[in-house]
Amino acid sequence: MAELQTLWGSFRMSMLSFFADPQWIIPNIIAPFVFTAVALIFFGNVSGSLALYAVLGGGMMGMWGNTLYGSGFALAFDRWNGTIEYVLATPSRLVWIVAGRSASSAFLGLVNALAILVVAVLGYGTQLGIANPLLFLLALMLTLTSLSALGIVFCSSFLLTRSAQVLTNGLEMPIYVASGSMFPIALLPFWTHPLSLSLGPTWGIDAMRYAADATYAGMGFGYWTDLLMVLFSTIVYLAIGFWLFIIVENKARRDATLEEY
Amino acid sequence: MPEKPEKAIVLSDLRRVYHVSKGVFRKKREAVEAVKGISFNVDFGELFGLLGPNGAGKTTTIKMLTTLLTPTSGTAKVLGFDIVKNVMEIRRRIGIIFGGERGLYYRVSGRENLRYFADLYGVSLSKREKRISDLLDMVGLADRADDRVESYSRGMKQRLHIAKGLINDPELMFMDEPTIGLDPEAARETRAMIKGLVEKGKTILLTTHYMFEADELCQRIAVISNGKIVALDSPSALKHFVKDITVIEVEAFGVAEKDLAILRGQPEVTNVSADLEGERQTIRIQTPRGSEFIPTVTQLLSRARIMDVRTKEPTLEDAYLKLVA
Amino acid sequence: MWLTQLLALPLFQMAFFVYLARFVSPTVTNVTFIAVGNALQVASFSSIFAVCNITSEEKWQGTLIPLIATPANRFPLFLGRASFQILNGIATIAVGFFYANYIFGVDMSRTDFAALTIVILITSLTMTGFGLMLGSVGLFMRTAMIIANIFLFIGLLVCGVNFPVTDLPVWLQPVSYAIPMTYGTLAARAAVNGAGIVELTPVLLQEAGAGVASILAGYVLFVGFELLARRRGTLEEY
Repeated sequence: MAELQTLWGSFRMSMLSFFADPQWIIPNIIAPFVFTAVALIFFGNVSGSLALYAVLGGGMMGMWGNTLYGSGFALAFDRWNGTIEYVLATPSRLVWIVAGRSASSAFLGLVNALAILVVAVLGYGTQLGIANPLLFLLALMLTLTSLSALGIVFCSSFLLTRSAQVLTNGLEMPIYVASGSMFPIALLPFWTHPLSLSLGPTWGIDAMRYAADATYAGMGFGYWTDLLMVLFSTIVYLAIGFWLFIIVENKARRDATLEEY
Repeated sequence: MPEKPEKAIVLSDLRRVYHVSKGVFRKKREAVEAVKGISFNVDFGELFGLLGPNGAGKTTTIKMLTTLLTPTSGTAKVLGFDIVKNVMEIRRRIGIIFGGERGLYYRVSGRENLRYFADLYGVSLSKREKRISDLLDMVGLADRADDRVESYSRGMKQRLHIAKGLINDPELMFMDEPTIGLDPEAARETRAMIKGLVEKGKTILLTTHYMFEADELCQRIAVISNGKIVALDSPSALKHFVKDITVIEVEAFGVAEKDLAILRGQPEVTNVSADLEGERQTIRIQTPRGSEFIPTVTQLLSRARIMDVRTKEPTLEDAYLKLVA
Repeated sequence: MWLTQLLALPLFQMAFFVYLARFVSPTVTNVTFIAVGNALQVASFSSIFAVCNITSEEKWQGTLIPLIATPANRFPLFLGRASFQILNGIATIAVGFFYANYIFGVDMSRTDFAALTIVILITSLTMTGFGLMLGSVGLFMRTAMIIANIFLFIGLLVCGVNFPVTDLPVWLQPVSYAIPMTYGTLAARAAVNGAGIVELTPVLLQEAGAGVASILAGYVLFVGFELLARRRGTLEEY
């Protein structure tokens, strides 16, 4: 239960910090926003499944972008702030603290999704309808969980190298391309497919589209298989994340480097 | 139920080596031994001071004892728990205050800062709010508790630090330079609070490079220099160490470093410390000779303008300078 | 380190829009349009760094305050520092064209390379100037980096990079014409198709005009900021 208290406390602090200065989410979500705007122009005045692609895709990219930056920098913020030693000195495991931050980042990515939705509907007059709202919500929640878990892996990997900044920025574009957010991964060269499919949210967005559009053909595995893969990926990420964080904590205590990076 | 250990803190030949990379193109790894094998004990209910100049190894020692760093060799037990093997047990039971401004989340309120750390320390939800209120009252921040920390003065931030350090009701506290950077009034308040905590039965290990602070607060002081303990005793015993020394204090104008070098070269001079900044320079000369040495001093400093000469009783600072030299 | 970022980002950005376009209209995708546009758009990365030259926080502490105290003319100083970014811009655009040609299969057999080189030069120059102007705007705000971030990507939407400016909503189009790159993308595409320097001169003049206008605007803002700071006596607010 202590772990849950840590998780919730971290999530809450992260949310409060965001609401204290909301404009700082902008750099994380600018790219998805602009990309969606371009996409909407590409799609022209379409309604139905293509418009759904644009809006859902943009929202998904927003959640990706914010998760990447939010969790990649989860502990960097503490470092700049001078709070990292205090956080490390608590009896809470780092992984739970980062999990809370990561979940908060993924969740806040929804803010971007909403913004895109508003712009699309008001600015472009796009019309959208969701065929099965409950299944959509389920897929969305599971995708957010998968994103949060992946965020933990990002954070720990970045902490183990000195180039967190480069990696975070460097991963942003490839993820937008490979995640199947805005266009199906079938269009990409076949050798990239395993990479795309290793990302839980790729399955997640596919599931969301199944739920939103009754005519959707998608990757061909069907809604429930997609959800299963999302769940599976979440478990794998959590396992990797936990293991990596044990390494991070031991390294920090041995090498005293966490404060420096 | 484990037995209560005899001592609050026990260090046994604790050593810590850092590996530093030097150079831009050809990185060379150098080993820097920050702590070179130190041992001491701290009793329950004691206010123990670790005194030393910057870079002496104080912060490294505290980081090892608070489980933020693993020692390269040697062992230590905090509240009976090993600092390498029982990390979580220690963390649950100790409070930490590192001096300085940083260490708080500025954009949220003081209360939220305390809530966050309460959660990280696993303070039970039933106790949490009351404890936070009590702590805020104790440090005098109750009326500003819900304002953003960035609006707090330096002294208020320090008080919040203290509240934060007490959030898990620890029986043992570590404080690393707690009054650094504070104005005299805030520093005084902080010291009063520290004394109050000891009176309530807490054990405190405090590091400082302020001599008078160690003298005022601590029951025992370990003087650390260059990674080693050079003395460990009560303040009065340490002052006794320099009882045969007289201090000649000179107030002057126009003294240069080479004058000090000449003074230091004198056989009867054990130590010279000086503050040459500003218009009024203060030079303290330690000598066993006493006031009969004054004419020699004035002659050696004849190039400068001497405004006042006094003899003084040696203080802890003088003992410290002698030990650390 | 920013080098890897600079090399990888354009590739994936170009890929994103090419694949997106292929998805939307599988049969009628003008890859050349998009690839050439994106190749030029990557100049935004270096002009952003030019923005940072003016508004980065270190400068506040160190150079800016004593600089303002001197009677020297500051703006040219910043222009001088930004000259590195101009070279940076040229290099990144060249990389962009490399990707366009070898990875996305843009046909460059008819390209007038002399004309294209001039286009790249002028685009990098003018966009750096535009970046400096944004930097001057940023002097007035605490959140200058947000402007920088927005600017980094906005070109994708309004500069005729992925589709003609005429496809944009009418109220947005004037913004396009204020940004030098809009003219650059037109010129670049024409050059790739074989247009020579003479034919491109009108467009290039327009681009240069937009660039000069930005630098002037930037200078005015910069001087205005200095006056304000001297009168108010504070630089710390920003």
